[in-house]
Amino acid sequence: MRALVLLSQGLHPVSGKSCLPRAEAQAARLAAMLDADASGLHAGPSSESVREALGRGLTHLTHLKLDGDPVPPIVAALRDLKPDVVLAGPCGQGGEDTGLLPYAVAHQLDWPLVAHAVAVEAAQGGLRVTQAMAKGARRFVTAPLPVLVTTHPSAPPPLPFAYGRARAGRVAAFAVSSPTAAADECETRPWRARPKVLTAQASPEAKGRLLVNPDPHEAAREILAYLCKIGVVAERPT
Amino acid sequence: VSRLRRDPRAERAALAVSSDARPRFARRPGEQRPRRDPRAERAAVETAGAAARRRFDWLARGTGSAPAAAMDAGPRLRVVNEPVFLVFAVVDAPRGHLTTQDRQTLAAAHVLAGTAGAVAMIGGGAADEADRLLPLTATPDSDVLADQLTDLVAHFQPRHVLWPESAAGGDLARRVAVRLGEPLFCGAEQINAQQVRRPAQGRRIEQRVKPPRLITLADGAVALYAGPRCEARVMEAPPRKVCASAWLNVEDAPADPAATPLGEADFVVAAGNGVSDFHAFRALARALRATPGASRMVCDAGLMPRTAQVGASGTVLAARCYFALGIAGAPQHLQGVAGCENVVAVNTDLHAAMIARAALAVVADAQAVMPALLALLEAP
Repeated sequence: MRALVLLSQGLHPVSGKSCLPRAEAQAARLAAMLDADASGLHAGPSSESVREALGRGLTHLTHLKLDGDPVPPIVAALRDLKPDVVLAGPCGQGGEDTGLLPYAVAHQLDWPLVAHAVAVEAAQGGLRVTQAMAKGARRFVTAPLPVLVTTHPSAPPPLPFAYGRARAGRVAAFAVSSPTAAADECETRPWRARPKVLTAQASPEAKGRLLVNPDPHEAAREILAYLCKIGVVAERPT
Repeated sequence: VSRLRRDPRAERAALAVSSDARPRFARRPGEQRPRRDPRAERAAVETAGAAARRRFDWLARGTGSAPAAAMDAGPRLRVVNEPVFLVFAVVDAPRGHLTTQDRQTLAAAHVLAGTAGAVAMIGGGAADEADRLLPLTATPDSDVLADQLTDLVAHFQPRHVLWPESAAGGDLARRVAVRLGEPLFCGAEQINAQQVRRPAQGRRIEQRVKPPRLITLADGAVALYAGPRCEARVMEAPPRKVCASAWLNVEDAPADPAATPLGEADFVVAAGNGVSDFHAFRALARALRATPGASRMVCDAGLMPRTAQVGASGTVLAARCYFALGIAGAPQHLQGVAGCENVVAVNTDLHAAMIARAALAVVADAQAVMPALLALLEAP
């Protein structure tokens, strides 16, 4: 099974320096588990910090040098490279940060996209992906190949950085031309932290009910009835 | 080059409204908050009755107050018969329950709809916050769901479509955005009828635009809807073609509450200093299928692992329900449960902060309630 990772040049959340986003390093680990010769694909002006992925499990990189919209060249390159599985992070880090790129690529290639992956393994006729769902639940999806998979933050942590492998990895760079992405008409300002609107306590159930010194069995019945009403405990047969 | 100097006096003069009694000024353009009317507020809380002097119920508890009783008597209903436009609020509603983020999405839809538009809730069961309901056929494959939603958007042409920026909502929004070929304004942190804002470039800049068509909302972007109840009329959905899922197989594995990290857990039962029998506590957590947590006191004493600590120095919860046994509720502990929708507390102290925070508060000994609850759970 041939695995490929979509890589981007991110900004470190604390220092602001150029780095490989953690989610993509995690994707590189998942790719290395599927394919010992996993490769990377990066579209952008420079590949300086993307090379870090070579020390995190990938063996070679393809760098498409461009300044405009990365989606058409990535789609063309994937049609050319024909990988079975493409892994990507859920969202960029330091650019527009919309997380739309994997969806746009999968839509243009007409591939299925499985989001929030924490584990991947080869299965009969496809790829078995473990998806992280809300509140700690998991879902096992078998998708046909080729497939695009985006990772979840609770995927296994990135492989430790291996300097020798990072030096030995090959980078093939090609200059491609791409139309400039349509600039959005939006006003930009420096970001300023604003408090979130706290809404949890304003729910209609928040009107308190008080039982003073009830019988323990009476209290237990009341508590269980409340837990059933809000739906955290399954309704009990009466 | 320095900034243009403002002339506050000229700005004020431009807003002056002619009046004989005292200077009055119109609202500034873009100023949102309506002016308070202190006289009307005072009249609303005045209690009826032939008292020697006028009496006001400032907490508006509605005990014998005529205006408050009149307000309680007939809950007003918001009816939009001929909406000028529709605003779609696509909710996750896991197992039919609206999450807090779903209710925020409905509130944001009301902000954009105003009085002229109607808020249509897509998916989910019933809600008092929606003017219209449009059910979606439930399916695990988000591609099939996105096809359905794209058809609905093409058919009804809503002015805005809103999603919560949650795992399921954000995924669905992006799938629909690429199908429609329209830009998506994702993770909006502030929203009003004039403007939406989102962070970009790793929270270095903030982008502001007039509300576009497709928006996803970050948690805490807007306060919950507090207006009158809406009629929730079910809309006629157009007949749609059935799309087959490309997936070969789907299996769901429910969360194992014992292994779920505390920050992700849906239901947390926590022990405090009022609990001494930890065997019974763990048995109760297993029987309730809840993730066990603890207060700092208990973790410091080594009775529960440090990973179970709830609070500012432990884990901040995002649980739907928090069940506190023998926890008084130190401020640092309450910070950890600030995001919980439902709190149940059992404590011997009537004046404990946790009793005041709880939706169901029981003033009793947790050690006595735990076996009673266990017996009730194991009864059938």
